[in-house]
Amino acid sequence: MTGAAFLNMCANFALGAITISFLLVVVRVVKGPSLPDRILALDMLVAVAIGFIAVLGLRTGFTLYVDIAIALGLVGFLATVAFARFVMSGGADAKKEEAQEEQS
Amino acid sequence: MIDGVGNYVAGTLVVIGALFALTASIGLLRLPDIYTRMHAASKAGTVGSCLMLIGLAVHIGESATALRALAGVLFLLLTAPISAHLLAKAAYSAGYRMWGGSVSDDLGATVHSAKKNDPLVTDR
Amino acid sequence: MIPYRNELILALIWVAISGSYSIPNLVFGFAIGWIVLFLVRDQRLATRTVIRPWALLLLIGLFIKELLLSALRVARLVLSPRMDIKPGIFAYPLKVDRDFEITLLANLITLTPGTLSVDVSDDRRTLFVHGMDCSDPEQARRDISQGFERRILEAFR
Repeated sequence: MTGAAFLNMCANFALGAITISFLLVVVRVVKGPSLPDRILALDMLVAVAIGFIAVLGLRTGFTLYVDIAIALGLVGFLATVAFARFVMSGGADAKKEEAQEEQS
Repeated sequence: MIDGVGNYVAGTLVVIGALFALTASIGLLRLPDIYTRMHAASKAGTVGSCLMLIGLAVHIGESATALRALAGVLFLLLTAPISAHLLAKAAYSAGYRMWGGSVSDDLGATVHSAKKNDPLVTDR
Repeated sequence: MIPYRNELILALIWVAISGSYSIPNLVFGFAIGWIVLFLVRDQRLATRTVIRPWALLLLIGLFIKELLLSALRVARLVLSPRMDIKPGIFAYPLKVDRDFEITLLANLITLTPGTLSVDVSDDRRTLFVHGMDCSDPEQARRDISQGFERRILEAFR
């Protein structure tokens, strides 16, 4: 097997694995149960997306994808920080959410 | 970069990185509370993305783009612990409790006395 | 001490990343670096610190090793059929006292096996760490103080 064929196979496998992890993370976003859980899952979604873009760039050889990955990392970090500030400043009601969680 | 070896190294890195991302998301689903899930997301998730970016850097071999990918790795390594730390602190101070099976909580004893000085938690 | 050292470092990084090695590009990078550093002038560190390159390299090496180990450990734990965890928060008494050292230690702790820093006490003497396996906090404290904290003290003192 040549190097290029091996690389192509690896990239395809990686894309498959990343797609499954996208799905699993989205399940966590939908299920919650609390707001920080969802924020964490969205943060994780960004990290997985950066990896996805990296593999895509590797497979197509289109190097501009790297810049997109970096920009996505920046935006994702800022979003997580903003969400965390929101939780910290009392925007989320922990007791109410936990009560709902116990009911369901 | 040497053509043959570079391809094999990049392929292996990408596969390992993708597997780490997969385990991180499985951990996100299986672990019991927000704090333990944060372990999975901030460690395995970061390492997964970093390995994939390094794989891309190895494959490209052109110095400017490879350096940009490595800058992305550095950036990810700098920001991941900060966002995890901030989110954990926020979740704790907002009152999200830990999983019932937790064995110790040293912070709980001090957080009540500290709350009086915290400008964010006022009784308005 | 070279004047405009930080601006020069930023300019060199800019040249390396933008990929065109020319004098105008270097000047442009220097200008951007100057503006950025001007914007954050109030938040700059007031104290000058010594950096020992060799000890810093050791710290980076230890960090990469521990990062890979921690990812492997999380992976093994998550994939084991019965998750046997005893999570908890333990207090860690800090030996380092400067702000950037505390920040560095907290970040390193977050990316290493089974630990995640949650909070720092107001007097900056205690770090609260969430551990995945908190059955033996003494052991975890020993690991931190003899691993990262010792290396940080070696690199910046």
